[in-house]
Amino acid sequence: MLKIIACFKWVIDEQDIRVDQKSRELIMERVGYKISDYDRNAIEEAVRQQEAHGGSVVAVTVGPPGARQSLKDALSRGPERAWFISDPSFAALEPSQTAAILAEAIKTKGEFDLIICGEGSSDLYAQQVGPALAQRLGIPCATYVNKVTLEPGEKKLTAERKLDDGIETVSIQLPALITVLPDINTPRIPSLKQVLGAAKKPVEEIKKSDLGQDFQPRLETISILGATMERRRLKYSAEAADIKAVVDALLKEGVIA
Amino acid sequence: MAGIWIFAESREQTLELISAGTSLARQLDGAAVVTFATSRQLAEEYISCGAGEVLVLPPLAGGQPLEAYVPAIIEAVRGGDPDIFLISATQRGREIAARVAAALDTGLCSGCTALKLDKEKKQLIMERMLYGGAAVQTVVCSGRPQMATIPPRTFEPAAPQEGRQGKITELAGVQPSPVKVVGRAPKAAEAVDITEAKVVVCAGRGFEKKEDLNLAQELAQVTGGAVGCTRPVAEELRWLPEDLYIGISGKKVKPGLYIGLGVAGQIQHVTGMRDSKVVLAVNRDENAPIFDAADYGIVGDLYDVVPKLIKELRIALNK
Repeated sequence: MLKIIACFKWVIDEQDIRVDQKSRELIMERVGYKISDYDRNAIEEAVRQQEAHGGSVVAVTVGPPGARQSLKDALSRGPERAWFISDPSFAALEPSQTAAILAEAIKTKGEFDLIICGEGSSDLYAQQVGPALAQRLGIPCATYVNKVTLEPGEKKLTAERKLDDGIETVSIQLPALITVLPDINTPRIPSLKQVLGAAKKPVEEIKKSDLGQDFQPRLETISILGATMERRRLKYSAEAADIKAVVDALLKEGVIA
Repeated sequence: MAGIWIFAESREQTLELISAGTSLARQLDGAAVVTFATSRQLAEEYISCGAGEVLVLPPLAGGQPLEAYVPAIIEAVRGGDPDIFLISATQRGREIAARVAAALDTGLCSGCTALKLDKEKKQLIMERMLYGGAAVQTVVCSGRPQMATIPPRTFEPAAPQEGRQGKITELAGVQPSPVKVVGRAPKAAEAVDITEAKVVVCAGRGFEKKEDLNLAQELAQVTGGAVGCTRPVAEELRWLPEDLYIGISGKKVKPGLYIGLGVAGQIQHVTGMRDSKVVLAVNRDENAPIFDAADYGIVGDLYDVVPKLIKELRIALNK
């Protein structure tokens, strides 16, 4: 039976971040959290493959204890169980740590056929965890996958990768890892019944001590500052005179000719 | 061998990274710039443009993706022990970099948009965007080599200099990758490349139906520009090809003039157009975030404003 792992990350909703215009500090009060946008596609694809071929889907996340609230959301989207790899030190992990932690946890849990990750996380968007995890597990991977066809009987998959210069179709033996693009599917919106049912699904906690390593960062953040943009922010109305004033200003700027 | 190493998918991107690498090398007391190449002919060109040594990868067998080079690159890097390894942030480049960094257990700054060197510590200080472009993160790498992927066109390509000499080393055979390419469908070339346009007219969700995009087309014609769009217009509504969406995961544009029509100004979109010289936005919601990213903001319904704008532009430009 097909065993699928869908990885996801619980991230700050970037729409809630405000920037102090003077200090450029990020104001994180009242920020909400969400399942990273691309990871919703990863979970959805795992569940669709399971619906088509049978087997099982486990949703996996790494994070500090506060990320526990993500599990219900993830499970309401279809996976039948979750692994929560958690430690207070797992806040603000950099991608090489996340990949190393996931790799150790997956090794301790044993068998799988397919791992699905999002193209990148919507907070860091480093696009490293998927391929780095495949490398650490010593399995083949295909990134930027737009379409995947599983042939569980032959233990292989065919994936279409959407690249800048066109579509590349690849064939890989399982076990394998793919990272998926947003247009591979449209994630379902969980029904109330699914949300309520998610609370009853099993969650297995994996602790740092179970993994027997320290997972030091290899990339260190020196600063995070709000991105600034010097713009004039002049406002005009839709009146003819105002529109003429805008056109005159653009001519003066030399950007239209 | 140490020094600054470079791998890129294409010749153009290799030359861009050679330019970045040689400027870092000067600050590192003339460290060597070592570049990978896929042919001897390219190797010679890279040397004339500033590389000190070129490692020539053997040709791939048919049905092998570029990523099949990963084990060979890892082996070469292990043997050469570079200080810095720069890889072009194309899609394939990003996978290759992530796998090399994982194998070497070092840090990788993805999508590095600026880098400078702390000469005393011989440490790269790298910047990248975070939270969909809302913030800039500055990072250093504590592993070795210090690795970064750098988006194409961040640096000017290096130019050839006369009489430069360098070393060419042929790398041994490549093991076949377990990922087999069974088909390739090249993308039809787009008629317009919005990353090259001097004026970009961007259509957002303020448009009510596909046919109304003619207004954007007309405005683009008058201004000699090209039409782009926000992600939902391409990916949810599918009114325009995905090649035309502007944003952190789409196209990055830096035209002289960007005109946003009915664009709300989500941070992921703004990241794709923030380097535009002048920004004009039309939106009926005066609190739309796009106005904070604009030089000129017209508060009004685009269906009212754009025809007036076109008329006024025709007069001003004698068109």
